[in-house]
Amino acid sequence: MGFSINASLLDAMVLSIVQKNDTYGYEITQYLQKAVDISESTLYPVLRRLQKGEMLETYDKEFMGRNRRYYRITPHGVTSLDEYREEWRNHKKKIDNILMNEGAENHEQT
Amino acid sequence: MNKLEFLTRLRNRLENGGMPADDINDALTYYEEVFLDAGFGKEEETAASLGSPENIAVDLLRESGLNVDPAPSMPPQMNNPQPNFGQFAYQGAYAAAAQPVKQRSTGLTVLMVLLAIFSSPIWVPILIAVVAVLFSLIIAAISIVFALFASAIGMLFAGFFCLFEAPAIGLMFLGISLFLGGLIILITKPVFSAVIPAFGNAIKKFFNWLMGLFKKGEKTNE
Repeated sequence: MGFSINASLLDAMVLSIVQKNDTYGYEITQYLQKAVDISESTLYPVLRRLQKGEMLETYDKEFMGRNRRYYRITPHGVTSLDEYREEWRNHKKKIDNILMNEGAENHEQT
Repeated sequence: MNKLEFLTRLRNRLENGGMPADDINDALTYYEEVFLDAGFGKEEETAASLGSPENIAVDLLRESGLNVDPAPSMPPQMNNPQPNFGQFAYQGAYAAAAQPVKQRSTGLTVLMVLLAIFSSPIWVPILIAVVAVLFSLIIAAISIVFALFASAIGMLFAGFFCLFEAPAIGLMFLGISLFLGGLIILITKPVFSAVIPAFGNAIKKFFNWLMGLFKKGEKTNE
């Protein structure tokens, strides 16, 4: 059971996770797996895409004798995330109108 | 499949697909990290959850717009908003999927040279004009200083000659020549104070370098 998640929704969720605090690939996957069935292999192209679009940048930080690649959101990423959130709000409202009959109820009430 | 096997297979497949070395290293760093973060004894499990390295490689190659053997001449995925290369290099990569990295870069340099040659009617005259203007400015500056210098000397001589026949005029000439001398020093001082120490430093560095060579030589001789 589950609804498929498209690329831009994934982008938006990853941006949102990284915005909270800088984090690394494995942790992002763990976070996403709370909501969607996703593997590290699905996440990698997403991270690459966001990096190429200059919404995320990376830096290496030492962790137990090795380097771990951390991701950080850029100002451009923050504006994109705002746009994604606005879009999601609209999208959700429209879906809810149909799926949850929310629009119809509103009509009856008024 | 353990970590090493997974990473080796992924690397081989990406290299065969002609992905640039930087991108391959980036991907391998990511996957290696996934293995390390998942935990030491969980390599098999992690590899299983990641899927086959061949499939991952195919997806990555397709995403970066490179040719993929199992699905020949497959267009890149539509949901990729930013292709990795410009349109041009991108087609080049298609044509030369077997050895694309080297061929693409030489192809690009050839194109750059051609572009430089074809656009030369525009940039050559501009370059010449810029150089000529700079050159004339330098010459003008030098000639102004030289003119000041020449008139200072002229005034000095004139002053001395006039001093006995018309002392007032002679003194005035001498005064003007001293004034010009001061002006020259004022103008050229920054040049000298910048150029001469720079020259001195260069000589010093050169000798230090020479000494370094000898010291090194001694060490290797020992």
